[in-house]
Amino acid sequence: MDGIRIEGLTKTFRAGQVRALDGVTLEIAPGEVFGIIGPNGAGKTTLLGCLLGFLRPDAGHISVDGHEPDDLVVRSMSGYLPERLTLDRWMTGRDFLAYHHALARLSAPARASEVATSLARVGLEPEAATRPIRRYSRGMLQRLGLAQALLGQPRYVFLDEPASGVDPAGVVLFRRLLGEVKSRGATVVLNSHQLDQVERVCDRVAFVKQGRVEAMETLHAGATMARVLRIRCPADGIVVAREVLERAAVRAGAELREVAPPLARFAVADDSGAARLVRELVAAGVPLAEVTPEEGRLERLFLEDEARGGPA
Amino acid sequence: MSLPIILATLRQRFTSPMRIVILITVIWMSMIPVILSPGSGFSILGDCYFLALTIAAGMIGQDVSSGTLQLVFARPVTRAQYVFSKWAAVTLGTWCVIALECVLAGIVMLVRGAPVPWGGAALYLANNALLALGTAAVMALFSALVPGLGDLGLLFLAFLSSQVIGGIGSFRNWRLAMRAAEELQRSLKPEIELWSLTHGHPIPWSMVVAYFSTVALCLAIAILLMNRKELSYASSGV
Repeated sequence: MDGIRIEGLTKTFRAGQVRALDGVTLEIAPGEVFGIIGPNGAGKTTLLGCLLGFLRPDAGHISVDGHEPDDLVVRSMSGYLPERLTLDRWMTGRDFLAYHHALARLSAPARASEVATSLARVGLEPEAATRPIRRYSRGMLQRLGLAQALLGQPRYVFLDEPASGVDPAGVVLFRRLLGEVKSRGATVVLNSHQLDQVERVCDRVAFVKQGRVEAMETLHAGATMARVLRIRCPADGIVVAREVLERAAVRAGAELREVAPPLARFAVADDSGAARLVRELVAAGVPLAEVTPEEGRLERLFLEDEARGGPA
Repeated sequence: MSLPIILATLRQRFTSPMRIVILITVIWMSMIPVILSPGSGFSILGDCYFLALTIAAGMIGQDVSSGTLQLVFARPVTRAQYVFSKWAAVTLGTWCVIALECVLAGIVMLVRGAPVPWGGAALYLANNALLALGTAAVMALFSALVPGLGDLGLLFLAFLSSQVIGGIGSFRNWRLAMRAAEELQRSLKPEIELWSLTHGHPIPWSMVVAYFSTVALCLAIAILLMNRKELSYASSGV
């Protein structure tokens, strides 16, 4: 398996007046869960459109497993959930899945059972399966769309805002399904505005802005991952002097970012840096009630970008 | 061709309440002359052009405007297969309705005590089968051009243009304009008039060639248009 390779991808609209993608180069490894984030109009959906062969790039090249993106070989091993989910509203949920099962050229004898399994996997009740899609709620539509995208266990899954309009239980379900997809080695490309979700499920994230990849973040690479640690001292304890925290940080090779008693934030290079920092803080007599890695790194990426000049 | 698309299109066409109402009305209207004059044969039923248009309207355009096309083309289906499948589905659907109409007319004739001209029935079916095939191809072309039910509007405009050109041609006695209008109308309603066989007239080969070339050309252009179509709302916005 080659994964996905994107080289110098450029796409314009309106006779070149709107440059949606501007020389995007990316490599997505097989089995990776890859997130695409960015402000509205950054070119995320255009990128997905090119990856799926729906849009013809003006320049550059895409290969999925060594094939052109609109090659039938690629399509037979891909699943796609679009952002603007417009399903065949006159069909029932079961008909819709059976239709896509047939379009995907999956085994006809296994169709009924696989469709039933898929519906159950996304938590759609048997009663909902026989209901016309036009009577589905937004969350039910999203679940059905996800079931459709995961039919036949595709090796490449392209998801555009998969958790939009889904209730909290649906979000948890979505994360669990994505975990299952990842565990069987499938490659997932996820475009989402829900940064906390992206942060939880993605291995790597590309921050796209004005058609360019502005930053690439590795999220689940374990020991090599730089992070921010937040410590909390007991609220009723003594106030630790800033100098004590700074000396401990220097000894541990970390950086004190912020002190707002009883909280303090440190930047550490990796997991062993985090362990050294905790050891130094304890040795310096800092009473630690809580040490937590700070969530919301992607949110910070957004905020930092905004501080540099605002979203596109 | 893709059997799932053919079956889904047939279901879509025949579960649309509006289409069903129109089809029933058209079939009922076509039965009135048979009831009044049961001995006139099947030619009194008229042709299936309106039926074919009812079934064909929006055959591709509705998928484009609803956005369902993206999901279909994310599957291992070529755009040519899609166009051929839509064309086949509309043709098959129209054939079924023609057959139903023919059976109903035969029953009316039997009930009214008139003889059923089986040869006429076969000719009626063949004539309309070819008309359905041709009309579906023309509508595939128009439907690939415009979203929603815009294909009906295009067809109407094309007919109107042919009338205007023909009218101007006959008023000014411009033979070229009259001929152009005639050809345009033939292209919009491609058929082979098999009825002429009953009068002992052979079918001119030029009519057969014109019919098949119109059908082939319409389908080829429809496929070309679909192949060039970019499928993303981003293409109309970013």
